[in-house]
Amino acid sequence: MRYLIEHETILDYPSSIREHHIELRLAPRTDGHQKVHSCVIETEPAAELSSYSDYFGNRVDYFSVIPPHNRLVTRLRSEVETFKENPFSFESVPKGEEQEWLAKAVRNSPPMNDFVLHRSLLTPSVLKLAEPFETQVPKRDKEQPLLDFLLELLAWVPTVMEYRTGSTEVHGSLETALAQKGGVCQDFAHLFITIARSYGIPARYVMGYLDPGISQDGDMLTTHAWAEALVPGAGWVGFDATHNLLTNDHYVAVAVGRDSYDAAPQRGSFKGVSSGEQPTVTVTMQEQ
Amino acid sequence: MYNPVTQASKPRAPYHEFYADDFTPRDHYRLLWDHIKATGNSALEAKAHESQLALQAEGVTFTVYGESEEGIERIWPFDLIPRIITAAEWVKIESGLKQRVRALNHFLGDLYGEQRIIKDGVIPPELIYQGRDFRREIVGIVPPRGIYTHISGIDIIRDEKGEFLILEDNLRTPSGVSYMIENRVIERRIMPEFFDKYKVRRVAHYPSLLLAALRSLSPRGKDNAEIVLLTPGIYNSAYFEHTFLAKEMGIELAEGRDMVTINDIVYLKTTTGLQRVDVIYRRVDDDFLDPLVFRSDSSLGIAGVINAWRAGNVAIVNAPGSGIADDKAVYPYVPDIIRYYLGQEPILNNVPTYQMTNVQDREYVFDNMERMVIKAVSESGGYGMLMGPSSTAALRKEFVDLVMENPRNYIAQPVVYLSRHTCYIDGELEARHLDLRPFTIYGEDIEVVPGGLTRVALRKGSLVVNSSQGGGSKDTWVLAE
Repeated sequence: MRYLIEHETILDYPSSIREHHIELRLAPRTDGHQKVHSCVIETEPAAELSSYSDYFGNRVDYFSVIPPHNRLVTRLRSEVETFKENPFSFESVPKGEEQEWLAKAVRNSPPMNDFVLHRSLLTPSVLKLAEPFETQVPKRDKEQPLLDFLLELLAWVPTVMEYRTGSTEVHGSLETALAQKGGVCQDFAHLFITIARSYGIPARYVMGYLDPGISQDGDMLTTHAWAEALVPGAGWVGFDATHNLLTNDHYVAVAVGRDSYDAAPQRGSFKGVSSGEQPTVTVTMQEQ
Repeated sequence: MYNPVTQASKPRAPYHEFYADDFTPRDHYRLLWDHIKATGNSALEAKAHESQLALQAEGVTFTVYGESEEGIERIWPFDLIPRIITAAEWVKIESGLKQRVRALNHFLGDLYGEQRIIKDGVIPPELIYQGRDFRREIVGIVPPRGIYTHISGIDIIRDEKGEFLILEDNLRTPSGVSYMIENRVIERRIMPEFFDKYKVRRVAHYPSLLLAALRSLSPRGKDNAEIVLLTPGIYNSAYFEHTFLAKEMGIELAEGRDMVTINDIVYLKTTTGLQRVDVIYRRVDDDFLDPLVFRSDSSLGIAGVINAWRAGNVAIVNAPGSGIADDKAVYPYVPDIIRYYLGQEPILNNVPTYQMTNVQDREYVFDNMERMVIKAVSESGGYGMLMGPSSTAALRKEFVDLVMENPRNYIAQPVVYLSRHTCYIDGELEARHLDLRPFTIYGEDIEVVPGGLTRVALRKGSLVVNSSQGGGSKDTWVLAE
């Protein structure tokens, strides 16, 4: 598939602010499953952009607006081609060798430890989750191939959580979402990651876009979030717990991290009075 | 590989620095002893009074934080009897510290680079990936000449046999060096006659050594170096030291709000406009250094400074991320770190340490808590610590719970009876426990300033030397021969 993605973020401030520094994780990734044909980021007021690759391999574009201003706009326009038609097309590893395959992957690449060990309010220790909840978590049968277990987990997440637009805050705790039995894509992804990690399976958070033809996020198209787990033989496989789907060429990945905080599309710091401004985000995704 | 400690050493009598036995001073203290005997107590009393006046006049203070948010400023507690280290003892301390600092810098470069030491199985990955001070934000950035800890203040104690041991590595923003210098100024003023009898190596050149090291890091060359000391502000407990060092080195003292990053270049806001900054000697912790990448609620740092550092336009001293190397859970592995990177045996040994993540170690510690010190790994200044011998059953219970909740966050050590030294306290000569914090500067090369801050536990019998917890200090003499 080939998509044109446009993503606009408007921040309005009631009184003027200055020395505004912004980091963007907006540029789609280039990896084995997708290729970026073009990527342009514009800002208002205009600013000179620099970029670097962060610890998780995300491209970060950053800039600053020093003089006083009341409004900051960032606009991304990117053409991306995606290739993964069938997420199941990989050569699997015999189930007796899966554990060793994972252990080796972590040994060879120490940063992989983060995706097993990381705990935060977003992806807490399973033991810290409420007692009745714990008993419902799918149990991993050692005889079961890893992918089968992950698919079971994928189907289980929407049974304990319902999709409700705007029901949780950005980077809100997983416990809050579980207590109200509802959340947004971020919470679905965090729940999947939390359980996978509790079984020692490397799992990470992905922020990106989903073809609006598939999305059930309603009329308002924004960024989407899902989880990736390391599957023996396949590498990172995307699990969209919000839709109970494996990710394929309808998905465009932007940034990855241990949890949503690492993969946040926009982060900033400024001087002036903050009044908890909410950004206005407009995303369009058109098949080319 | 790390070997768990199996047995705590039995308590012995602490080593006395001054006396060889009840009646005889050690050889290098004999001249001092003769002098004190000859002049008598009343002379000492007058000197002690004089030293208090001098400290007050100089404004040598420190800030203690208690219940209230705002600290109380106190006059720096100073004991006039100097601590003397022989030339031979110093050779060992100096070479041991140089070796340790060299190895720890290799370690940091490796952690933020290839991580060979983890791949080779020398240290477990959990140690790093669950460490609060491993900064993923700086992975892949190579600081100038690969140096992270330009300034180290590593604490050394002396055990019952008189062996110098490393107690902890302070590699973030170690403080105390201003007191090392001030103690010497005061001692020289009130006890000039002492200095006639001994060849004492000087410490007053510390600021010029540090300044040279800071200059050498300037991206625009050492002859074109604008250097700023970044302080959290007047409420910081080490603010006295920040003003002292800025003045001594003739560099700007500034807070985060006095600086701004524009297109990856850091500027100081001055009355004559923006002035480019080349080197930041920061006394602000990593967490607060850059609200764009670390804690977003920090108002003490400079937004964008990490990106400027990555771009090579500014040097940060000590480098961000250094804290993982002085994490107390990493400490037990430092001897292995030295062997791994340098292929040498450690010159100065560690204090035996139990890891709370190790079940055997942990049970042993819980069974012997009255003889243990339990420390939270990322706390300093004597906070978050259980001193076994003086603890209550309730406090011990509390620590068992804390350790069980997060074993990675704690280590334990058998109580080491720190060496003692004669002090002049309330008109009497009495023995008190002490430690030593020498300062190491890694600039063009590694240099250990001959001396250091000797901290004294002023309360009788106490083993806690931190000035925030009732500690005092002594001038520290390293003999030239």
